[in-house]
Amino acid sequence: MIVTNIETVPGKAIVKHLGLVSGNTVRSKHAGRDLMAGLKNIFGGELKGYTELLTESRQEAVQRMIDQATAVGANAIVNVRFSTSSVAAGAAELYAYGTAVVVE
Amino acid sequence: MAEYENPEIPEGINVSPTHPLKDFALLVSGISALIIVAVLALSLLAGQLARHIPFAQERALAASLGRWLPEPPDSAVAKQRQHYLQTLTNRLAGTMALPPEMPITVHYSSSQTVNAMATLGGHIVVFQGLIDTLPSENALAMVLAHEIAHVRHRDPVVAMGRGFAVMLALSSLAGFGDGALQQWLGGVGMLPILSFSRSQEEAADSSALQAVLDLYGHVGDAAAFFEKVAERQSAAYVPTMFNTHPDVDQRIARIREFAARHAKPEQAPATPLRAFLKAA
Amino acid sequence: MVDLIFFLVLLLLGYVFGQRAEKRHFRSIIEREKQLRDILVFSERRIPDEDKLDGTLVCGSVVVSVDFFKRFVANLRNLVGGRVSAYESLLERARREAILRMKEEARRTGAKSVWNIRLETSSIYKGAQQSIGAVEVLAYGTAVKPR
Repeated sequence: MIVTNIETVPGKAIVKHLGLVSGNTVRSKHAGRDLMAGLKNIFGGELKGYTELLTESRQEAVQRMIDQATAVGANAIVNVRFSTSSVAAGAAELYAYGTAVVVE
Repeated sequence: MAEYENPEIPEGINVSPTHPLKDFALLVSGISALIIVAVLALSLLAGQLARHIPFAQERALAASLGRWLPEPPDSAVAKQRQHYLQTLTNRLAGTMALPPEMPITVHYSSSQTVNAMATLGGHIVVFQGLIDTLPSENALAMVLAHEIAHVRHRDPVVAMGRGFAVMLALSSLAGFGDGALQQWLGGVGMLPILSFSRSQEEAADSSALQAVLDLYGHVGDAAAFFEKVAERQSAAYVPTMFNTHPDVDQRIARIREFAARHAKPEQAPATPLRAFLKAA
Repeated sequence: MVDLIFFLVLLLLGYVFGQRAEKRHFRSIIEREKQLRDILVFSERRIPDEDKLDGTLVCGSVVVSVDFFKRFVANLRNLVGGRVSAYESLLERARREAILRMKEEARRTGAKSVWNIRLETSSIYKGAQQSIGAVEVLAYGTAVKPR
Protein backbone atom coordinates (compact mmCIF):
# COMPACT_ATOMS: atom_id res chain seq x y z
CA MET A 1 0.00 0.00 0.00
CA ILE A 2 1.46 3.33 -1.08
CA VAL A 3 0.41 6.24 1.10
CA THR A 4 1.14 9.83 0.07
CA ASN A 5 -0.09 13.23 1.12
CA ILE A 6 0.08 14.73 -2.36
CA GLU A 7 -2.41 14.50 -5.19
CA THR A 8 -0.53 11.79 -7.05
CA VAL A 9 1.69 8.79 -6.59
CA PRO A 10 5.02 9.91 -8.07
CA GLY A 11 6.04 7.91 -11.13
CA LYS A 12 2.72 6.08 -11.35
CA ALA A 13 -0.49 6.91 -13.13
CA ILE A 14 -3.77 6.66 -11.24
CA VAL A 15 -6.24 4.52 -13.13
CA LYS A 16 -9.13 4.49 -10.68
CA HIS A 17 -10.33 6.74 -7.85
CA LEU A 18 -12.25 4.92 -5.14
CA GLY A 19 -13.27 7.75 -2.85
CA LEU A 20 -12.78 8.60 0.81
CA VAL A 21 -11.29 6.07 3.21
CA SER A 22 -10.60 6.83 6.85
CA GLY A 23 -9.24 5.35 10.05
CA ASN A 24 -9.82 6.55 13.58
CA THR A 25 -8.76 5.59 17.08
CA VAL A 26 -9.04 6.82 20.63
CA ARG A 27 -6.36 5.68 23.02
CA SER A 28 -5.20 6.63 26.47
CA LYS A 29 -2.19 6.00 28.69
CA HIS A 30 -2.53 4.66 32.21
CA ALA A 31 -2.82 7.04 35.14
CA GLY A 32 0.85 6.64 36.09
CA ARG A 33 1.90 8.15 32.77
CA ASP A 34 -0.52 11.01 33.28
CA LEU A 35 1.04 11.66 36.69
CA MET A 36 4.54 11.63 35.21
CA ALA A 37 3.42 14.02 32.48
CA GLY A 38 2.07 16.33 35.18
CA LEU A 39 5.45 16.28 36.93
CA LYS A 40 7.26 16.86 33.65
CA ASN A 41 5.15 19.96 33.20
CA ILE A 42 7.13 21.50 36.04
CA PHE A 43 10.55 20.82 34.55
CA GLY A 44 9.71 20.96 30.85
CA GLY A 45 11.03 18.59 28.22
CA GLU A 46 9.55 15.97 25.98
CA LEU A 47 6.58 14.02 27.29
CA LYS A 48 7.83 10.63 26.11
CA GLY A 49 4.71 8.82 27.25
CA TYR A 50 2.48 11.10 25.24
CA THR A 51 4.75 11.07 22.18
CA GLU A 52 4.51 7.29 22.31
CA LEU A 53 0.75 7.51 22.73
CA LEU A 54 0.37 9.73 19.68
CA THR A 55 2.70 7.56 17.60
CA GLU A 56 0.78 4.40 18.48
CA SER A 57 -2.53 6.11 17.80
CA ARG A 58 -1.35 7.45 14.47
CA GLN A 59 -0.09 4.02 13.42
CA GLU A 60 -3.37 2.45 14.35
CA ALA A 61 -5.44 5.10 12.55
CA VAL A 62 -3.31 4.72 9.41
CA GLN A 63 -3.59 0.93 9.64
CA ARG A 64 -7.36 1.16 9.82
CA MET A 65 -7.41 3.52 6.85
CA ILE A 66 -5.24 1.03 4.92
CA ASP A 67 -7.62 -1.78 5.91
CA GLN A 68 -10.52 0.18 4.45
CA ALA A 69 -8.57 0.88 1.25
CA THR A 70 -7.64 -2.80 0.92
CA ALA A 71 -11.27 -3.75 1.42
CA VAL A 72 -12.37 -1.61 -1.53
CA GLY A 73 -9.59 -2.99 -3.76
CA ALA A 74 -7.20 -0.03 -3.80
CA ASN A 75 -3.43 -0.26 -3.87
CA ALA A 76 -2.59 3.31 -2.88
CA ILE A 77 -3.99 6.20 -0.82
CA VAL A 78 -3.30 9.77 -1.90
CA ASN A 79 -3.87 13.14 -0.29
CA VAL A 80 -3.80 11.77 3.26
CA ARG A 81 -4.67 14.21 6.06
CA PHE A 82 -4.55 13.83 9.82
CA SER A 83 -6.90 15.43 12.25
CA THR A 84 -6.36 15.28 16.00
CA SER A 85 -8.53 16.50 18.79
CA SER A 86 -8.74 16.10 22.52
CA VAL A 87 -12.10 14.59 23.17
CA ALA A 88 -11.38 13.10 26.58
CA ALA A 89 -8.72 14.49 28.89
CA GLY A 90 -5.60 12.36 28.72
CA ALA A 91 -6.73 10.42 25.65
CA ALA A 92 -5.46 10.89 22.10
CA GLU A 93 -7.93 10.75 19.29
CA LEU A 94 -6.57 10.52 15.76
CA TYR A 95 -8.31 10.51 12.47
CA ALA A 96 -6.56 9.79 9.17
CA TYR A 97 -8.34 10.13 5.85
CA GLY A 98 -7.47 10.17 2.18
CA THR A 99 -8.61 9.01 -1.23
CA ALA A 100 -8.17 5.34 -2.10
CA VAL A 101 -6.86 4.87 -5.65
CA VAL A 102 -5.67 2.14 -7.95
CA VAL A 103 -2.31 2.83 -9.60
CA GLU A 104 -0.98 0.86 -12.51
CA MET B 1 -8.74 8.87 -18.26
CA ALA B 2 -9.07 7.53 -14.75
CA GLU B 3 -12.28 6.05 -13.43
CA TYR B 4 -14.08 7.55 -10.44
CA GLU B 5 -16.29 5.55 -8.09
CA ASN B 6 -17.12 5.07 -4.37
CA PRO B 7 -17.29 1.37 -3.52
CA GLU B 8 -18.96 0.34 -0.29
CA ILE B 9 -16.57 0.11 2.67
CA PRO B 10 -17.22 -2.84 5.02
CA GLU B 11 -18.45 -2.02 8.55
CA GLY B 12 -16.44 -2.51 11.70
CA ILE B 13 -12.95 -1.41 10.66
CA ASN B 14 -13.02 1.76 12.71
CA VAL B 15 -14.88 0.37 15.71
CA SER B 16 -13.39 -2.16 18.11
CA PRO B 17 -15.64 -5.20 18.31
CA THR B 18 -15.59 -5.50 22.15
CA HIS B 19 -18.96 -5.51 23.86
CA PRO B 20 -19.38 -2.43 26.07
CA LEU B 21 -20.63 -4.49 29.04
CA LYS B 22 -17.65 -6.83 28.88
CA ASP B 23 -15.32 -3.86 28.76
CA PHE B 24 -17.17 -2.35 31.71
CA ALA B 25 -17.08 -5.54 33.79
CA LEU B 26 -13.37 -6.08 33.18
CA LEU B 27 -12.48 -2.50 34.02
CA VAL B 28 -14.66 -2.26 37.12
CA SER B 29 -13.51 -5.55 38.62
CA GLY B 30 -9.85 -5.03 37.72
CA ILE B 31 -9.62 -1.50 39.04
CA SER B 32 -11.66 -2.30 42.17
CA ALA B 33 -9.37 -5.22 43.00
CA LEU B 34 -6.30 -3.09 42.41
CA ILE B 35 -7.56 -0.25 44.59
CA ILE B 36 -8.71 -2.55 47.39
CA VAL B 37 -5.36 -4.34 47.49
CA ALA B 38 -3.43 -1.07 47.38
CA VAL B 39 -5.59 0.54 50.06
CA LEU B 40 -5.38 -2.54 52.32
CA ALA B 41 -1.60 -2.69 52.03
CA LEU B 42 -1.26 1.02 52.58
CA SER B 43 -3.65 1.16 55.50
CA LEU B 44 -2.01 -1.79 57.24
CA LEU B 45 1.38 -0.14 56.89
CA ALA B 46 0.10 3.25 58.05
CA GLY B 47 -1.76 1.59 60.94
CA GLN B 48 1.40 -0.17 62.11
CA LEU B 49 3.33 3.09 61.96
CA ALA B 50 0.59 5.05 63.75
CA ARG B 51 0.66 2.54 66.64
CA HIS B 52 4.14 3.85 67.48
CA ILE B 53 2.95 7.43 67.99
CA PRO B 54 3.41 8.13 71.73
CA PHE B 55 0.12 8.56 73.58
CA ALA B 56 1.18 12.04 74.76
CA GLN B 57 1.49 13.08 71.10
CA GLU B 58 -1.94 11.66 70.39
CA ARG B 59 -3.38 13.71 73.26
CA ALA B 60 -1.72 16.86 71.96
CA LEU B 61 -3.08 16.15 68.50
CA ALA B 62 -6.58 15.62 69.86
CA ALA B 63 -6.34 18.88 71.81
CA SER B 64 -5.18 20.76 68.71
CA LEU B 65 -8.20 19.62 66.73
CA GLY B 66 -10.33 22.22 68.50
CA ARG B 67 -13.90 21.89 69.69
CA TRP B 68 -14.98 18.59 68.23
CA LEU B 69 -16.08 16.84 71.41
CA PRO B 70 -19.48 17.47 73.02
CA GLU B 71 -19.86 20.65 75.07
CA PRO B 72 -19.26 20.26 78.83
CA PRO B 73 -22.51 19.47 80.64
CA ASP B 74 -24.55 22.53 81.57
CA SER B 75 -27.42 21.18 83.68
CA ALA B 76 -27.01 19.64 87.14
CA VAL B 77 -28.35 16.26 85.99
CA ALA B 78 -25.97 16.15 83.03
CA LYS B 79 -23.06 16.93 85.38
CA GLN B 80 -24.22 14.16 87.68
CA ARG B 81 -24.42 11.69 84.78
CA GLN B 82 -21.00 12.66 83.46
CA HIS B 83 -19.47 12.29 86.92
CA TYR B 84 -21.05 8.87 87.33
CA LEU B 85 -19.80 7.71 83.87
CA GLN B 86 -16.30 8.96 84.68
CA THR B 87 -16.27 7.12 88.01
CA LEU B 88 -17.44 3.87 86.39
CA THR B 89 -14.82 4.30 83.67
CA ASN B 90 -12.08 4.84 86.23
CA ARG B 91 -13.11 1.67 88.07
CA LEU B 92 -13.02 -0.30 84.80
CA ALA B 93 -9.73 1.28 83.74
CA GLY B 94 -8.28 0.23 87.10
CA THR B 95 -8.87 -3.44 86.27
CA MET B 96 -7.55 -3.10 82.72
CA ALA B 97 -3.95 -2.18 83.62
CA LEU B 98 -3.82 0.97 81.53
CA PRO B 99 -0.38 2.60 81.31
CA PRO B 100 -0.13 5.53 83.76
CA GLU B 101 0.19 8.13 80.98
CA MET B 102 -3.10 7.01 79.42
CA PRO B 103 -5.97 8.78 81.22
CA ILE B 104 -9.49 8.21 79.90
CA THR B 105 -11.86 11.17 79.71
CA VAL B 106 -15.57 10.49 79.37
CA HIS B 107 -17.87 13.00 77.68
CA TYR B 108 -21.60 12.78 78.14
CA SER B 109 -23.88 13.90 75.33
CA SER B 110 -27.64 14.28 75.76
CA SER B 111 -28.15 13.38 72.09
CA GLN B 112 -30.56 10.53 71.36
CA THR B 113 -28.01 8.72 69.15
CA VAL B 114 -27.75 5.08 70.22
CA ASN B 115 -23.96 5.00 70.25
CA ALA B 116 -20.73 5.34 72.20
CA MET B 117 -17.37 6.01 70.65
CA ALA B 118 -13.69 6.19 71.44
CA THR B 119 -11.67 8.87 69.70
CA LEU B 120 -8.15 10.27 69.67
CA GLY B 121 -6.51 11.25 72.94
CA GLY B 122 -8.38 8.81 75.18
CA HIS B 123 -11.71 10.60 74.86
CA ILE B 124 -14.87 8.52 75.06
CA VAL B 125 -18.26 9.93 74.14
CA VAL B 126 -21.42 8.30 75.53
CA PHE B 127 -24.83 9.34 74.20
CA GLN B 128 -28.00 9.39 76.27
CA GLY B 129 -29.72 7.39 73.50
CA LEU B 130 -27.44 4.46 74.32
CA ILE B 131 -27.97 4.67 78.08
CA ASP B 132 -31.74 4.56 77.53
CA THR B 133 -31.50 1.19 75.76
CA LEU B 134 -29.40 -0.52 78.45
CA PRO B 135 -31.01 -2.62 81.19
CA SER B 136 -28.32 -2.46 83.90
CA GLU B 137 -25.02 -0.98 85.02
CA ASN B 138 -23.30 -4.20 83.90
CA ALA B 139 -24.42 -3.63 80.31
CA LEU B 140 -23.22 -0.01 80.47
CA ALA B 141 -19.90 -1.18 81.92
CA MET B 142 -19.49 -3.60 79.02
CA VAL B 143 -19.93 -0.80 76.47
CA LEU B 144 -17.57 1.51 78.38
CA ALA B 145 -14.96 -1.24 78.78
CA HIS B 146 -15.20 -1.93 75.06
CA GLU B 147 -14.38 1.72 74.30
CA ILE B 148 -11.58 1.81 76.89
CA ALA B 149 -10.13 -1.30 75.22
CA HIS B 150 -10.14 0.56 71.90
CA VAL B 151 -8.09 3.35 73.48
CA ARG B 152 -5.74 0.89 75.13
CA HIS B 153 -5.21 -0.97 71.85
CA ARG B 154 -4.51 2.42 70.20
CA ASP B 155 -7.33 1.79 67.70
CA PRO B 156 -8.39 5.45 67.21
CA VAL B 157 -4.88 6.56 66.23
CA VAL B 158 -4.46 3.51 63.98
CA ALA B 159 -7.76 4.34 62.27
CA MET B 160 -6.62 7.92 61.88
CA GLY B 161 -3.33 6.80 60.33
CA ARG B 162 -5.16 4.51 57.95
CA GLY B 163 -7.69 7.12 56.97
CA PHE B 164 -4.96 9.66 56.41
CA ALA B 165 -2.86 7.33 54.23
CA VAL B 166 -5.84 6.26 52.14
CA MET B 167 -7.01 9.84 51.73
CA LEU B 168 -3.56 10.80 50.48
CA ALA B 169 -3.47 7.88 48.05
CA LEU B 170 -6.94 8.60 46.68
CA SER B 171 -6.29 12.31 46.38
CA SER B 172 -3.33 11.53 44.11
CA LEU B 173 -5.92 10.17 41.71
CA ALA B 174 -8.04 13.31 42.05
CA GLY B 175 -7.06 14.71 38.66
CA PHE B 176 -8.68 11.91 36.75
CA GLY B 177 -12.15 11.67 35.34
CA ASP B 178 -15.29 13.45 36.37
CA GLY B 179 -17.42 13.57 39.48
CA ALA B 180 -18.96 10.14 38.96
CA LEU B 181 -15.59 8.45 38.72
CA GLN B 182 -14.25 10.29 41.75
CA GLN B 183 -17.25 9.28 43.81
CA TRP B 184 -16.86 5.67 42.78
CA LEU B 185 -13.11 5.62 43.48
CA GLY B 186 -13.72 7.10 46.91
CA GLY B 187 -16.37 4.49 47.67
CA VAL B 188 -14.22 1.58 46.60
CA GLY B 189 -11.20 2.95 48.47
CA MET B 190 -13.10 3.36 51.74
CA LEU B 191 -14.64 -0.12 51.60
CA PRO B 192 -11.71 -2.02 53.13
CA ILE B 193 -10.94 0.41 55.97
CA LEU B 194 -14.17 1.96 57.28
CA SER B 195 -13.54 2.99 60.89
CA PHE B 196 -12.22 0.21 63.07
CA SER B 197 -11.54 -3.13 61.47
CA ARG B 198 -13.49 -6.18 62.57
CA SER B 199 -10.45 -7.77 64.20
CA GLN B 200 -10.02 -4.61 66.30
CA GLU B 201 -13.65 -4.87 67.41
CA GLU B 202 -13.23 -8.51 68.41
CA ALA B 203 -10.06 -7.73 70.37
CA ALA B 204 -11.85 -4.87 72.16
CA ASP B 205 -14.77 -7.19 73.00
CA SER B 206 -12.59 -9.79 74.63
CA SER B 207 -10.63 -7.21 76.68
CA ALA B 208 -13.90 -5.64 77.76
CA LEU B 209 -15.34 -8.97 78.87
CA GLN B 210 -12.27 -9.63 81.01
CA ALA B 211 -12.57 -6.17 82.60
CA VAL B 212 -16.28 -6.62 83.38
CA LEU B 213 -15.57 -10.06 84.84
CA ASP B 214 -12.82 -8.63 87.05
CA LEU B 215 -15.03 -5.79 88.28
CA TYR B 216 -18.33 -7.58 88.90
CA GLY B 217 -17.23 -11.22 89.17
CA HIS B 218 -19.62 -12.22 86.36
CA VAL B 219 -20.52 -11.09 82.84
CA GLY B 220 -24.30 -11.14 83.06
CA ASP B 221 -26.04 -8.57 80.81
CA ALA B 222 -22.83 -8.04 78.83
CA ALA B 223 -24.56 -9.03 75.61
CA ALA B 224 -27.58 -6.83 76.38
CA PHE B 225 -26.60 -4.00 74.06
CA PHE B 226 -26.02 -6.32 71.11
CA GLU B 227 -29.26 -8.16 71.76
CA LYS B 228 -31.04 -4.81 71.48
CA VAL B 229 -29.19 -4.10 68.24
CA ALA B 230 -30.03 -7.55 66.88
CA GLU B 231 -33.72 -6.97 67.63
CA ARG B 232 -33.72 -3.79 65.62
CA GLN B 233 -31.60 -5.20 62.80
CA SER B 234 -33.74 -8.25 62.23
CA ALA B 235 -36.17 -5.92 60.45
CA ALA B 236 -33.61 -4.37 58.11
CA TYR B 237 -30.95 -6.74 56.86
CA VAL B 238 -27.51 -5.13 56.58
CA PRO B 239 -24.84 -7.10 54.68
CA THR B 240 -21.85 -7.91 56.91
CA MET B 241 -19.44 -6.47 54.41
CA PHE B 242 -20.79 -2.96 54.81
CA ASN B 243 -20.80 -3.23 58.56
CA THR B 244 -17.73 -2.28 60.56
CA HIS B 245 -18.83 -4.18 63.61
CA PRO B 246 -18.67 -7.96 63.34
CA ASP B 247 -21.97 -9.64 62.85
CA VAL B 248 -24.03 -8.92 65.96
CA ASP B 249 -25.10 -12.56 66.28
CA GLN B 250 -21.47 -13.66 66.25
CA ARG B 251 -20.64 -11.16 68.98
CA ILE B 252 -23.53 -12.27 71.14
CA ALA B 253 -22.46 -15.88 70.65
CA ARG B 254 -18.88 -15.05 71.63
CA ILE B 255 -19.99 -13.18 74.75
CA ARG B 256 -22.28 -16.06 75.82
CA GLU B 257 -19.47 -18.52 75.29
CA PHE B 258 -17.22 -16.41 77.52
CA ALA B 259 -19.99 -16.17 80.10
CA ALA B 260 -20.46 -19.94 80.05
CA ARG B 261 -16.73 -20.53 80.60
CA HIS B 262 -16.69 -18.22 83.63
CA ALA B 263 -20.10 -19.20 85.02
CA LYS B 264 -20.27 -19.52 88.78
CA PRO B 265 -22.84 -21.60 90.67
CA GLU B 266 -24.34 -18.61 92.47
CA GLN B 267 -24.28 -15.57 90.14
CA ALA B 268 -24.69 -12.16 91.67
CA PRO B 269 -27.67 -10.20 90.29
CA ALA B 270 -27.01 -7.42 87.80
CA THR B 271 -26.47 -4.00 89.34
CA PRO B 272 -29.40 -1.76 88.34
CA LEU B 273 -28.75 1.56 86.65
CA ARG B 274 -28.99 4.62 88.86
CA ALA B 275 -32.35 6.32 88.54
CA PHE B 276 -30.87 9.68 87.48
CA LEU B 277 -29.35 8.09 84.37
CA LYS B 278 -32.64 7.41 82.65
CA ALA B 279 -34.23 10.21 80.68
CA ALA B 280 -37.14 11.76 82.52
CA MET C 1 -26.62 4.54 49.82
CA VAL C 2 -28.91 7.01 48.03
CA ASP C 3 -25.90 8.21 46.04
CA LEU C 4 -25.09 4.65 45.03
CA ILE C 5 -28.62 3.94 43.84
CA PHE C 6 -28.71 7.24 41.97
CA PHE C 7 -25.40 6.37 40.35
CA LEU C 8 -26.51 2.87 39.33
CA VAL C 9 -29.75 4.23 37.90
CA LEU C 10 -27.83 6.78 35.83
CA LEU C 11 -25.48 4.05 34.65
CA LEU C 12 -28.35 1.79 33.66
CA LEU C 13 -30.26 4.61 31.94
CA GLY C 14 -27.11 5.63 30.10
CA TYR C 15 -26.46 2.09 28.98
CA VAL C 16 -29.98 1.21 27.85
CA PHE C 17 -30.77 4.48 26.09
CA GLY C 18 -27.23 5.04 24.84
CA GLN C 19 -27.00 1.62 23.23
CA ARG C 20 -30.45 1.96 21.71
CA ALA C 21 -29.72 5.40 20.30
CA GLU C 22 -26.41 4.21 18.90
CA LYS C 23 -27.90 1.15 17.20
CA ARG C 24 -30.69 3.25 15.72
CA HIS C 25 -28.22 5.89 14.56
CA PHE C 26 -25.98 3.30 12.86
CA ARG C 27 -28.98 1.77 11.09
CA SER C 28 -30.05 5.18 9.84
CA ILE C 29 -26.49 6.03 8.73
CA ILE C 30 -26.15 2.80 6.74
CA GLU C 31 -29.57 3.33 5.18
CA ARG C 32 -28.86 6.92 4.12
CA GLU C 33 -25.37 6.05 2.89
CA LYS C 34 -27.01 3.61 0.49
CA GLN C 35 -29.36 6.34 -0.76
CA LEU C 36 -26.53 8.83 -1.25
CA ARG C 37 -24.15 6.34 -2.82
CA ASP C 38 -24.37 8.08 -6.22
CA ILE C 39 -22.72 11.22 -4.81
CA LEU C 40 -19.00 10.53 -4.91
CA VAL C 41 -16.60 11.98 -2.33
CA PHE C 42 -12.85 12.45 -2.73
CA SER C 43 -10.18 14.15 -0.68
CA GLU C 44 -8.26 15.29 -3.80
CA ARG C 45 -7.96 18.86 -4.91
CA ARG C 46 -7.59 18.13 -8.61
CA ILE C 47 -11.01 17.86 -10.21
CA PRO C 48 -11.14 16.23 -13.68
CA ASP C 49 -12.64 18.37 -16.49
CA GLU C 50 -12.62 21.36 -14.16
CA ASP C 51 -13.41 23.88 -16.91
CA LYS C 52 -16.80 22.29 -17.65
CA LEU C 53 -18.03 22.35 -13.99
CA ASP C 54 -19.56 24.71 -11.44
CA GLY C 55 -18.31 24.38 -7.85
CA THR C 56 -19.73 25.43 -4.51
CA LEU C 57 -18.79 24.85 -0.89
CA VAL C 58 -20.93 22.31 1.00
CA CYS C 59 -20.73 21.58 4.72
CA GLY C 60 -22.23 19.12 7.13
CA SER C 61 -21.83 19.19 10.88
CA VAL C 62 -23.16 17.26 13.81
CA VAL C 63 -22.82 17.34 17.59
CA VAL C 64 -23.26 14.00 19.32
CA SER C 65 -23.31 13.67 23.07
CA VAL C 66 -21.95 10.72 24.98
CA ASP C 67 -24.04 8.83 27.52
CA PHE C 68 -23.27 8.45 31.23
CA PHE C 69 -22.29 4.80 30.86
CA LYS C 70 -19.75 5.44 28.11
CA ARG C 71 -18.32 8.38 29.94
CA PHE C 72 -17.81 6.28 33.04
CA VAL C 73 -16.21 3.40 31.11
CA ALA C 74 -13.94 5.82 29.26
CA ASN C 75 -12.89 7.39 32.55
CA LEU C 76 -12.06 3.97 33.94
CA ARG C 77 -10.13 3.12 30.79
CA ASN C 78 -8.19 6.33 31.25
CA LEU C 79 -6.82 4.97 34.53
CA VAL C 80 -5.31 1.84 32.99
CA GLY C 81 -4.67 3.06 29.45
CA GLY C 82 -5.36 1.39 26.14
CA ARG C 83 -7.95 1.68 23.45
CA VAL C 84 -10.99 3.71 24.48
CA SER C 85 -13.47 1.65 22.51
CA ALA C 86 -16.41 3.42 24.14
CA TYR C 87 -15.54 6.61 22.26
CA GLU C 88 -14.56 5.01 18.96
CA SER C 89 -18.09 4.23 17.90
CA LEU C 90 -19.17 7.71 19.01
CA LEU C 91 -16.62 9.38 16.75
CA GLU C 92 -17.25 7.00 13.86
CA ARG C 93 -20.94 7.82 14.07
CA ALA C 94 -20.34 11.56 14.26
CA ARG C 95 -18.01 11.54 11.25
CA ARG C 96 -20.21 9.48 9.02
CA GLU C 97 -23.19 11.60 9.98
CA ALA C 98 -21.29 14.81 9.14
CA ILE C 99 -20.25 13.43 5.73
CA LEU C 100 -23.84 12.35 5.09
CA ARG C 101 -25.19 15.81 5.87
CA MET C 102 -22.57 17.29 3.58
CA LYS C 103 -23.67 14.88 0.83
CA GLU C 104 -27.31 15.81 1.43
CA GLU C 105 -26.43 19.46 0.91
CA ALA C 106 -24.52 18.50 -2.25
CA ARG C 107 -27.60 16.69 -3.55
CA ARG C 108 -29.73 19.78 -2.93
CA THR C 109 -27.33 21.82 -5.08
CA GLY C 110 -27.63 19.20 -7.81
CA ALA C 111 -24.00 18.07 -7.58
CA LYS C 112 -22.77 14.58 -8.47
CA SER C 113 -19.48 14.64 -6.55
CA VAL C 114 -17.68 16.43 -3.70
CA TRP C 115 -13.97 17.18 -3.80
CA ASN C 116 -11.20 18.18 -1.43
CA ILE C 117 -13.06 17.00 1.63
CA ARG C 118 -11.74 18.10 5.03
CA LEU C 119 -12.93 17.00 8.43
CA GLU C 120 -12.61 18.86 11.72
CA THR C 121 -13.31 17.42 15.14
CA SER C 122 -13.65 19.30 18.35
CA SER C 123 -15.27 18.82 21.69
CA ILE C 124 -17.39 21.88 22.16
CA TYR C 125 -18.58 21.26 25.68
CA LYS C 126 -16.39 20.16 28.52
CA GLY C 127 -18.15 19.56 31.78
CA ALA C 128 -16.67 19.49 35.24
CA GLN C 129 -13.04 18.36 35.31
CA GLN C 130 -12.72 18.30 31.53
CA SER C 131 -14.85 15.25 31.00
CA ILE C 132 -16.29 15.15 27.54
CA GLY C 133 -19.86 16.26 27.11
CA ALA C 134 -20.24 16.18 23.34
CA VAL C 135 -18.18 15.89 20.19
CA GLU C 136 -18.63 18.06 17.13
CA VAL C 137 -17.58 17.02 13.64
CA LEU C 138 -17.59 19.34 10.65
CA ALA C 139 -17.13 17.97 7.13
CA TYR C 140 -16.71 20.34 4.19
CA GLY C 141 -15.71 20.12 0.57
CA THR C 142 -16.41 21.48 -2.90
CA ALA C 143 -19.46 20.07 -4.65
CA VAL C 144 -19.39 20.21 -8.43
CA LYS C 145 -22.09 19.90 -11.08
CA PRO C 146 -21.97 20.17 -14.86
CA ARG C 147 -22.19 23.73 -16.10
